[in-house]
Amino acid sequence: MNFFIAQVINGLSLGSIYVLLVTGFNLLLLVAMIIHFSYPQVVVFSMYITWVVLQATGNNLALGILAGVLSSVGLNLLSAPLFQKVMQKRGSVDINATMVLSMGMGMILTDVLSHTFNQGLPISFPESLSSSTSIVNSGFINIMGGQIWSLAVGIVAVGCFFLLLYKTRPGRAFRAIAEDPNGARLVGIPIMRTGLYSYALSGVLGGIIAVLLAMLLGSASPGLGELVSHKVLAVSIIAGLGNLAGGLVVGLLLGVLEALFQGYISGTWSNAIAFAIMLVIVLVKPKGLFGTKV
Amino acid sequence: MASNNTPLLKVDNLCVSYGHVNALKGTSLEVFPGEIVVLIGSNGAGKTTLLETILGINTPTSGSIVFDGAPITGINADRNVRSGLCLVPEGRGVFASMSVLDNLLLGAHHNMRNVRANLERVYEWFPILNKRKDQIARTLSGGERQMLAIGRALMSAPKLIMVDEPSIGLAPIVVNDIFTILCRLNREGYSILLSEQNANKALKCAQRGYVLETGRVALSGTSEQLLNDSGVKEAYLGA
Repeated sequence: MNFFIAQVINGLSLGSIYVLLVTGFNLLLLVAMIIHFSYPQVVVFSMYITWVVLQATGNNLALGILAGVLSSVGLNLLSAPLFQKVMQKRGSVDINATMVLSMGMGMILTDVLSHTFNQGLPISFPESLSSSTSIVNSGFINIMGGQIWSLAVGIVAVGCFFLLLYKTRPGRAFRAIAEDPNGARLVGIPIMRTGLYSYALSGVLGGIIAVLLAMLLGSASPGLGELVSHKVLAVSIIAGLGNLAGGLVVGLLLGVLEALFQGYISGTWSNAIAFAIMLVIVLVKPKGLFGTKV
Repeated sequence: MASNNTPLLKVDNLCVSYGHVNALKGTSLEVFPGEIVVLIGSNGAGKTTLLETILGINTPTSGSIVFDGAPITGINADRNVRSGLCLVPEGRGVFASMSVLDNLLLGAHHNMRNVRANLERVYEWFPILNKRKDQIARTLSGGERQMLAIGRALMSAPKLIMVDEPSIGLAPIVVNDIFTILCRLNREGYSILLSEQNANKALKCAQRGYVLETGRVALSGTSEQLLNDSGVKEAYLGA
């Protein structure tokens, strides 16, 4: 039982990262109207920037975290004009064009990571950030500081995000565009500028995710983004594309399932099993468990 | 604010095309401060295209639009809304998954300073919206949605309200309510440009009208002249 609880907590902290990733992805889908398949690659890139800054400043955590967030926001804002150019006419989601652009971006980022940093070898984050010291360690229970941190920050970040979405003026504009881009334009919502806000906000989320991943995993490799991006796309489709609440449930569920597989069956099979289950769900419910919002 | 003998809105020789289709072929019209002007035309005459082009949704191929003394041809809708132009879209265009209050606040996107006072005024106009402010717009009736769309337009503190076919899909008794509201808004000083197929009711509450046929103004005049015109009677008044 203790072991089970430990695995569930482990899974929830992993799941909260999936939730944040899916939220950022869905935000771009709903407001900027792009399928940013490679959003996780941007996140992993930010992990590397955090690592570089930590190395350069003798593990100054505040600067490292700041650099991670800034690089993720910067990368998102830099890619925004490209996406907007490719889409040309707003109002309809040109899925094919934005996906190709996003995938290309992901491949370039992955290649840059494997050629530029640490000779392509996995990087590892300092103890002070990854906090892999056990907080609770009795018998089978072994909960790391990083897990608690990522779960706590994850909850706060998602909470703030929903508060922003439902209680603020830009949040209202986000929801209007998500529901009906043309209608939003007729009411006078600036589509392009509001779209840019969503790039910036998903960039902030991306920076937070980068730091949380560094805390939870303690390391990163150039291929990490690709693996995560498959899961994020899968989670958002399972939940229903663009369904924020659905993404929350399915993201947490995937994290817990994976942790349980890792604990009880075999770590090496957990990805395959997770994807097999998702395959079945997609076959049974093609529009996702909670229905699409786009 | 423009004085009474300079037009609030002046559309001159406006041409708009979608690919090879010419939706507007040199349309001209004027709206003076304090007027209700009605735009009569059947489906496909170009009424919606004209209103959306004035708002800044479509880019005209030629012609000019002057609003409140400033040229606005080719300027984006969000900037025009900011300077006092607004549109109540055909079919209401209410955000169905959002609350009534959120819908109203969306209208105030560029005008958040007086939002509380404006909300009070809209609730005075439409007490039903106050009663339903926390409800999701999807649960409103057709007439209530139309009121919400008009209320949302009022939240932007407009100088000119364009209303696109408000009567479409509404029961006759509700249509009467909507026209009564538009007339009252006009008496309070709002200038209104109204597009309608329901020419009889629209002309009775308007001062002047234009008849739009396949992208051109076929006829224009005071409401009285149009109501008594034999061509208008035959084509739009069902006489």
